[in-house]
Amino acid sequence: MKTNDLIFQTVTKTAVFIIIIYSLHLFFSGHYTPGGGFIGGLMTASAIVLLLLAFDIKTVVNSLNIDYIKMTATGLLIALLTGVGSFFFDVPFLTHTFSYVDLPVLGKTSLATAVLFDLGVYLVVIGVTMTIIQTIGETE
Amino acid sequence: MAFQILLNFFLAFIWMFLSNDYSTLAFFKGYFFGGLIIFALRRFFAHRFYLLNVIAVIKLFFIFCSELVKANIAVLKVILSPKLTMRPGIFALETELEKDWEITILANLITLTPGTLVLEVSEDNKILYIHAMDIDDVEQARLDIKNSFEKAIKEVSR
Repeated sequence: MKTNDLIFQTVTKTAVFIIIIYSLHLFFSGHYTPGGGFIGGLMTASAIVLLLLAFDIKTVVNSLNIDYIKMTATGLLIALLTGVGSFFFDVPFLTHTFSYVDLPVLGKTSLATAVLFDLGVYLVVIGVTMTIIQTIGETE
Repeated sequence: MAFQILLNFFLAFIWMFLSNDYSTLAFFKGYFFGGLIIFALRRFFAHRFYLLNVIAVIKLFFIFCSELVKANIAVLKVILSPKLTMRPGIFALETELEKDWEITILANLITLTPGTLVLEVSEDNKILYIHAMDIDDVEQARLDIKNSFEKAIKEVSR
């Protein structure tokens, strides 16, 4: 029996944006407050899962055409390169630094190289979660 | 409506550039004067003056809040009453609303009213199937409330 998912789909269309912006907030707040790459990635993946639940797989793949396996590889590569980058400054592997920079608009901002490593974690988490869910969902 | 809001923002920014003052206060001044201009020239737009829609949204929000309180008090009465005298039932309600978000808001408002719950929307989005906690005395009063909800939602999207 086919049901009409109108209410579910309409609520999803609005809720997805709020979930994704919250996940980005969690990702960037990881240095000083609870949050970080892992939980941010899981939250972004959960927003895509909500889309998959409300619409079918074909619609989501047509609108969000991301190769999640490549995304995982990119994330691992970014995390590895931030580690390798420490060799150029003659310090041990995965040493990270931070400094305060005066940016034109944002004012005094602390930029840490750990954020780049976190970006790698973020991409890996999204990629792995979505790969698992899509492969399970597509098998008949 | 969205176009008018965008135009009002645009006029507010022009005001900021002209007065060479980039503070929040200058933005609100410009927004106020832009609103006055849009009100004066409201005949030239396809839709009515947008503040009326904003007021309609606020009205809808207050209806929503009052219904939430009423619904919970009604359910509390039913739970605490010693005898169970309710007769549950399902009835269909034809709606005149067409857009997705309108039907969604109507369904959520109906679910929040005392003693009613939306179960299903029909395939062609014309009929809502509603489960009523007490079907005899509720039917007529419900339809009245639905009409008031539908009216309020129509006011928003006019």
